[in-house]
Amino acid sequence: MRALLPSTLLALAATLPAQDLLVRAKTVVVAPDTVLTDGRFLVRDGKVAYVGSDVPADAAAKATVVDCGDAVVVPGFVLAPTTLGRDGDLAEGALPFTPDLRAAEAFDPWQDELAKLPRAGFTAAVLAPSPRNLAGGLGALVKPGATGGRVATADLHLALSLTAAARNPERPPTSLMGGVDLLRSAFAQAKSAAAAGPDVAVLRDVLQGGRKVAIAADTLVELQAALDLARDFGFEPVLVGARDADKALPRLVAQRAAVVLAPLAPEMRRAQLELPARFAEAGVPFCFSGNPEQTRLSAVLAVRHGLDRQTAWAALGRATATMFGAAGQVGALRQGCAADFAVWSGDPLDLGSSLRAVYVDGARVHGGQPSAAAPAASSSSTAAGGR
Amino acid sequence: MHRSLPLAAALALAALLPAQDGVTAYRNARILPGGAPAIANGTLVVGGGKVLAVGGADTPVPDGATVVDCAGKTITPGLIDASFRAGNTPDMNENGAEVTPHLRVLDSLDPDDPSFVRARSAGVTTVHVMPGSRSVIGGLGVVLKTHAADPQAMVVKNDASLRIVMGSEPSMGNRAIRGGSVDSIYYRRPTTRMGVVWAARKAFFDAKEAMEQSVGAPGAPPSPGMEVLARVLRGQLTAVTTARSEQDLRTALRLATEFGYRTVIDDAQDAHMLVGELKAAGTTVMLGAPSATAVAGSAASDGADPRSATVRLLADAGVPFVITTGSNLAALDLVREAMFAARNGLDAARALDAVTIAPAKLLGIDQRTGSLQKGKDADFVIWSTDPLDPAAAAASVHIDGIAVQVIR
Amino acid sequence: MNSMSLPASLLRCAVAAALAALPAVAQDLLAVKASRIVPVSGPVVDDGVVLIQNGRITKVGKQSEVEIPWAAKVIDATGKTVMPTWVVAHSQGGVRNFNENMQNVPWLTVADAIDPAAVYFEDCLRNGVGAVHVMPGNQTLLAGQGMVVRPFGRTVEDMTIAANTGMKMSLASGGGGGRLQQIRRLRRAITDVREYLADFDRRKGEFEKEQAAGAIPADKKWTEEIDRTKKGAVDLVQKKAKGWLYVPSFAEMDEALRLAQDLDLQIVLGSNIDEAVGLVKKLGKPVVLDDAIEYFETDEETQKEKRFCTAKLLADAGVPFALTLGLGGPTSYPWWQLGACVRNGIARDKAIEALTMVPAQLLGLGDQIGSLGEGKLGNLQILTGDPLQATTWVETVVLEGQVVYERSKDPRLQYLFEAEKAKASKAAGPERKETEKKESDKKDGAEPAKAEPAKAEGGKQDAPKSGGDGREVR
Repeated sequence: MRALLPSTLLALAATLPAQDLLVRAKTVVVAPDTVLTDGRFLVRDGKVAYVGSDVPADAAAKATVVDCGDAVVVPGFVLAPTTLGRDGDLAEGALPFTPDLRAAEAFDPWQDELAKLPRAGFTAAVLAPSPRNLAGGLGALVKPGATGGRVATADLHLALSLTAAARNPERPPTSLMGGVDLLRSAFAQAKSAAAAGPDVAVLRDVLQGGRKVAIAADTLVELQAALDLARDFGFEPVLVGARDADKALPRLVAQRAAVVLAPLAPEMRRAQLELPARFAEAGVPFCFSGNPEQTRLSAVLAVRHGLDRQTAWAALGRATATMFGAAGQVGALRQGCAADFAVWSGDPLDLGSSLRAVYVDGARVHGGQPSAAAPAASSSSTAAGGR
Repeated sequence: MHRSLPLAAALALAALLPAQDGVTAYRNARILPGGAPAIANGTLVVGGGKVLAVGGADTPVPDGATVVDCAGKTITPGLIDASFRAGNTPDMNENGAEVTPHLRVLDSLDPDDPSFVRARSAGVTTVHVMPGSRSVIGGLGVVLKTHAADPQAMVVKNDASLRIVMGSEPSMGNRAIRGGSVDSIYYRRPTTRMGVVWAARKAFFDAKEAMEQSVGAPGAPPSPGMEVLARVLRGQLTAVTTARSEQDLRTALRLATEFGYRTVIDDAQDAHMLVGELKAAGTTVMLGAPSATAVAGSAASDGADPRSATVRLLADAGVPFVITTGSNLAALDLVREAMFAARNGLDAARALDAVTIAPAKLLGIDQRTGSLQKGKDADFVIWSTDPLDPAAAAASVHIDGIAVQVIR
Repeated sequence: MNSMSLPASLLRCAVAAALAALPAVAQDLLAVKASRIVPVSGPVVDDGVVLIQNGRITKVGKQSEVEIPWAAKVIDATGKTVMPTWVVAHSQGGVRNFNENMQNVPWLTVADAIDPAAVYFEDCLRNGVGAVHVMPGNQTLLAGQGMVVRPFGRTVEDMTIAANTGMKMSLASGGGGGRLQQIRRLRRAITDVREYLADFDRRKGEFEKEQAAGAIPADKKWTEEIDRTKKGAVDLVQKKAKGWLYVPSFAEMDEALRLAQDLDLQIVLGSNIDEAVGLVKKLGKPVVLDDAIEYFETDEETQKEKRFCTAKLLADAGVPFALTLGLGGPTSYPWWQLGACVRNGIARDKAIEALTMVPAQLLGLGDQIGSLGEGKLGNLQILTGDPLQATTWVETVVLEGQVVYERSKDPRLQYLFEAEKAKASKAAGPERKETEKKESDKKDGAEPAKAEPAKAEGGKQDAPKSGGDGREVR
């Protein structure tokens, strides 16, 4: 048996039928709008099988208990579109328009930035082509793991970009009007009956409602161009960056657009810091981008500038998952979702709270064992929060 | 009964009110309505974003109107800059190809561009923006108000013009990379003045050919670029050709004659050298920055010999012209450019017309703006004194009746 | 010949020749009659006369009260305005390379660099400028001496009004590095001079001590002189000479105040000074302003732009200021600068003083120039109208009783304003074939327009007419 490599052992372990986990904590945030006090949920095969009072007594009795005591258990955060430090692999330099490239194919399960995610309470990321391309390609939902990361969903969304980064003086289009024209005619082509290659097929998926579109746009004119495109071709866009989003607020609402905001920083203008609260009030879904620390800090700053906590929690995972079409998988601890969660000493929106442990697909990837208690006694659960 | 207010208080109020409600009468002002005689003690009544009445002291003021006393002030129509520089340069020029007639400059124009704020502070309420001058045929221009409650409402006229550029600018800096092929993305044409003209000629030649072939022959629709050029050839779209030096001016006229389209000449600095031809061709001339023809000064790159006399020569010869700022980096506020034209011999009223009603007619928007006439948009400027006085400042600027912020 | 290639040098020769011919009209006794005389130092005189004898003003008064000597040459400027010529307190005009690459060059003087034939001086006369304080540029440290010249003369000596007017210094970082670097360099340069002076004095003291002690023969004299290359800087630190310190923005004002404690400084202010008006006031002296007196600033929080006018900021703070003129562009016109002041809320008279009396006093020439006072130099300009209107032109300039500029004989203006017959007739030239159909139209347009510079005058501003007539605009 000595010859058996540790990795083989791990692989073996993974194939064995794992035992159920019963996670208990003083506070369990199932989703931003559902918080259980003295809550619990049962994890089976890496997924949430039962939540709160739905957990069957016999299953609970057989499960290994993870007792988190007075801690707060929240769904693992989801990192908004990112290249995870692999810009070079995710920006096709020679061609501006490559909607059929797949970020999943540039995914390295061992890339550093991915492995670092759990340390900040993140359990998934939207890996996306760089905004340096007009049409960069298809994003993927990726997750870290104890035995290397994996692609949870390939071909998640189509990433377009109208930002200055997408305008390269060395290849067309060099101007915004050139870029807008190129995208517009590509969508028009996809709409027309004439058949075309795989790139146009991707756009056709969008037009038929089968795929989400994220458009990177910063300035008002870029946002308008993105919204025009969405209006003319009938889709609801996710706008990434959106520096001037406050000036386009009525249109964002009217066109049911969602926004991935650039990370907030304390030195920013008041109008920028108050934008999340205004979005919440207007009903524009949003999340934050940036590295894990920036993303959490952004939510904290937004709360400090008037955002309610529930929406701030959502901006760290639930909203991200929803706007990229992964709501059934990540961002919540509802039945059927992946058992991706983090154990915090308190509300993660308080900077004083510390991270105790992080689980991905029911397996601990960061932190220590919260406790090793015997099978559970019963506990009451309350649905709190609500709308 | 009218509520009577001093100007300053009225302006503060106007900025607060959702401006289009209510009727306001501006009284006791000297009014230069544009294209019509001055009114010494005039009254301007606006409401609902439109001019309701313009006239003398006896002009009836509707009941309930707010009355603003403008004694000592001069009211003019909002100024119109028929060649306005806006946006950041890289986005105004698509370098991917030298002929891109179908590109819309509107797609590159940020409604928040700081140039709009400065323009309206200087009394400019409407601007015509064209694509940059780095392409031979850069694309479609747009006419915008410099302010609107909703950015999209700024557009007065989309696809207002097609910009063609003669001279050295489209070829400046272009070159073939050593060892590269002409198909390389690093290869940008044209590299000579000849090449510039060739590119324009080829585009129109192709468009003409496509037009002839498509007559009665259903098939693939012509490319959007060809369609734009066809509209120019059919006289449905105004071509604006930027041509500064004498040789470029002649080329611009020759090309237009060759393909039978009409063109406006933009930034015609050497216009004084061929007044006769311009007159004969019936061409309207956009004079960029008459201030740049100052005594010892010189103008933009191709401006071979700017003359202070140009503006008066064109006026005397009856060549239609407008005064603009856009093509000249050193240009001053539009009203100051009109002032320099007046200094250099142009009659004051004509100088003011050249930045109001004349550009409105040129751009085909004179039904809406360009002069103070009943029914037109309430675009006007209240000046502290005669606008051609160097001491003049815009006391307030109104666009569609809304008092917009003036930089102080 | 294509006139676009008319060599500039040829034109300059023409101008120089024309100007050189002018002194012939100079006389000992000159009387200038005008409808309006603005002496600046006193109330406006309507229907007045200025008498100039031997280059000096002897009398300013009403035509009805002043007797014009029979021998006087009379200039009748009825309908026109007479004013003192403008005084520019700080300029780099007429010097080709005004920023020496070496930063610390206190021994230089602009006297060696002024080009009497420079177009700048022609433009000065066209604009009615009668005295210019020419100084080295702003991208310097200790840059050398300036001088006040009149913009007329064949040699620098001819032009000189006052030489060695002071040391140019600058807090603008021209030698690379940042603001602090420049402050450090300037302090170092001044300290070096002080140390040199202290060392010089010590050695001289020792010499005298030893002489007194008999170690050196009594008849031996101390022969060492202050190093020639350091003389100007030594005068500066000994407060024997003025320093003209360029302060580019508010951020350098603190340092300027510190330097002003030990030196006799004249501050030349750049823009962006709204934060430091209090400090400027503390200085307790008039200041000279850059030609750019308006600037914009963006509020970081609201992202809104704000316009500032340095002249207005100072006027509000009660600090007297002198305006200057740019080397090109609109700020090179006195009427533009004065108009900018007035539109920013400065009184007309104050604005006019800022380009006449204030700079004259700053330059220590208050008793010579800057107003039409009796006993002062006979410098005046005749204007076609109000000095603050764009449509007003300088008709004649008189310096020290000599007519040095007449607009009707200005070749450059003639070139710019006259329609050349040859040029216009070219319209019927090589393009004939293509425009043949419209031949009849063309004839009207090709008719050479008559160009009389006088026609270019203003004064029509209040006679608006319907401008739309006969103009077809597409």
